[in-house]
Amino acid sequence: MALIELRDVSKSYRRDAIEIPVLDRVTITVPDGDFLGLMGPSGSGKSTLLNLLAGIDRPTRGSVRVAGTEISSLSERPLAAWRARHIGFIFQLYNLIPVLTAFENVELPLLLTSLSKQQRRDHVTTALGIVDLSDRAKHYPRQLSGGQEQRVAIARAIVTDPTLLLADEPTGDLDAKSAGEVLTLLQRLNREYKKTIVMVTHDPHAAERATHLLHLEKGTLVEQVATASATA
Amino acid sequence: MKYVNLMVKSARRSKRRTALTVLSVAIAVFLFAALRAVLDGFDAVAAASSSQRIITIRSTSMIFNMPASHTDAIRGTAGVQDLTWANWFGGIYKDPKNFFANIAVDPESFLRMYPEVVLSPDERRAFLEDRTGCIVGDGLAKRFGWKVGDRIVLQPGIPYYGTQDYPFTIRGVYRSTSSAVDNQSMYFHWKYVDERSVQKGQIGWFVIRVADPDRAVQVAEEIDRRFANSPYETKTDTEKAFTAQFANMLGNLNVLLGTVALAVVITTLFVAGNTMAMSVRERTTEIAVMRTLGFPSATIFGLVVGEGLMMAIVGGAIGAGLARLTINGEFLGLSGGFIPAFGVGNRNVAVGLALSALIGVLAALIPATMASRLKIVDALRRVA
Repeated sequence: MALIELRDVSKSYRRDAIEIPVLDRVTITVPDGDFLGLMGPSGSGKSTLLNLLAGIDRPTRGSVRVAGTEISSLSERPLAAWRARHIGFIFQLYNLIPVLTAFENVELPLLLTSLSKQQRRDHVTTALGIVDLSDRAKHYPRQLSGGQEQRVAIARAIVTDPTLLLADEPTGDLDAKSAGEVLTLLQRLNREYKKTIVMVTHDPHAAERATHLLHLEKGTLVEQVATASATA
Repeated sequence: MKYVNLMVKSARRSKRRTALTVLSVAIAVFLFAALRAVLDGFDAVAAASSSQRIITIRSTSMIFNMPASHTDAIRGTAGVQDLTWANWFGGIYKDPKNFFANIAVDPESFLRMYPEVVLSPDERRAFLEDRTGCIVGDGLAKRFGWKVGDRIVLQPGIPYYGTQDYPFTIRGVYRSTSSAVDNQSMYFHWKYVDERSVQKGQIGWFVIRVADPDRAVQVAEEIDRRFANSPYETKTDTEKAFTAQFANMLGNLNVLLGTVALAVVITTLFVAGNTMAMSVRERTTEIAVMRTLGFPSATIFGLVVGEGLMMAIVGGAIGAGLARLTINGEFLGLSGGFIPAFGVGNRNVAVGLALSALIGVLAALIPATMASRLKIVDALRRVA
C-alpha cells in the first residue's frame, strides 16, 4: 500500500521577477515500510521534495498525498496538527533546543498531545531507550557529542510514533563512526519498528542503507533503483 | 501549565538580558505606584474633607499672616457657627531633616473644630491646662519614639518667632479618625508662641464651621467681602478646595505625575519590546523547528506572549512589592501638615501588577506575531 503518492509535483521559487524551478513534474510512490534514499547533487531539489512531504512547504502544482491525506490543500492549522501526528523530522544540524535537556527535547512534540505527564515520561523514556541514550536524559545538548545529539533528535522524531520519518542529510555533520551508528539506528527503526523513512543524502555509504534510491537532477527524477539493503 | 517550563527555560536563556528586562519593568511599576500613592493621598484628604468647614487665608498667599482682629469679624458673619485659627510654626527638631508639621493652634476651639483628633479625657485636660504643652500624632510619636510626658525642643524656623528654642511637653498622643487630619503633626498653644513672636497677634489661617453646609459658598463670599479693600484681604474656600489648592501650589500634580508615569511606562514598553524582539530573532531556527514538529502558529504566539507576560509580572511584583515596603509617608518622614499621609495600598499594588501585565503583553505582541508568521522553510534555510 502506498504511503506517499506524489503526482506531477512542481515547485518553483520566485526571486524578484524571476521564477526559479526546483522540482519539475515529479511523480513518486513510496510504499508503507520503505526506506527511501533521495540522492542528487546540490540544488537538485532533494530537500525541497522532503519539505513538501513534511508539509512545511507547498507545491506550485501537483498533488502530495501522504498517509491518505492530500496535504497540499490543507490550511495552516490542520497542516500543523497533521505534521504533529504523522511526521518525524530529523535535521542535518540536529536542531535541538539548547536550553532544554535531552529528555525535554524529546518531550517537546508530546506537549502537543493530550498525554498526561506520566504518559509523556513513559514515551520519552522508551524513545531514549531505543536510541540508547537513557543515561543522557538530563544532559543538555552542549554536553553531548554530535552523534549523541543526532540520536536525541531521532528520539524526538520517533517519540510520537509518527507514520513517516523524514531525514535531511542526517549524517552530514557527523564523523564516520557516529554516522554509522545513526544509519544503523535508522535501519533498525525501519526493520524492527516498520517505520517508513525518506532520507536525503549525498553520501553513497549512507544511501546503501536505504532499500530504494531515487536520483534527482535539476528537479527531475532520473533514476529509481533498489539497493542491496532491499534484499538483505 | 505544560508550557510553563518551556517559557521559563526560554526566559533564562540570556539571564542578564532577562534580569535587565525584569528590572526595567520593576522600576516602571515602582515609580508608577509611588506617584499614584502621592496623588491618592491628596485625593483621600479631599474626599475626607468636611463639608461644614471652610478655611480663610490671606488673598495674596497662605504664607502671609492676618491680624487676630479678623477673628471677631469672622465670628460675626452670618452663618458662622464656630471658628479656630492656626499658624505654621516651621520649627526644627534637632535637624532640618527631621521635618514634620508643627502648628500653633487655639487648643479649645481646635479640638472642637476637629473631632477627628482623638485624645483621652486626661490627655485633653492636660493639653488645655499646660501653656507649653503639645499633642503629637501617633505616627509622629512612633517615628521619634516619643511618649506622653517627654520634653522636646523646637528651634524656630520662621524669623519672627525669634531665635531662642521653644521647649514643649508632650501632653497627649492623638490618633486621627479621618484622612482629613494626618497623624504626623504636632499642635501646641498659639498663645505660647505668639507672646514670644516679634509680630504679635498674627494668624496664618482660620478654620470656620458653617451652620449650613449648603450655604458654605455664600458664607465664604461674605467673609471675603468683609475684608475687601483692606490691607489684609482674605480668600475663603471650602476645606476640599483648600486642600486641592495646596496640591496645586506644587503644580498640576495630576498632569505632572501622570505624565512622568506614562513616560516611564512607554519607555519600559519599548525596552521590553526590543528585548523580546531580539530574543525571538535569536530563536528563529528553534521556532522553525517547533513549527516543523507541529506547533501551531497560535501556540508559538502564546509562548512568546506568555514569556513576556511572565517576565513583566515578575518585574511588576518586585516593583509593587518594593513600593509597598518603602513608599510610605511615615517611613520616609514626608507627610504631615498639608502633605497627606500616603502609602501604596492594595489597589495600587493590583493596578501596578495589571500595568506590568499590560507591558508584558504589549511588548510581546510584535515579536510574537513575527514568530508565529515565520515561514518554516525560509527560517531553516537561513541557518542551514
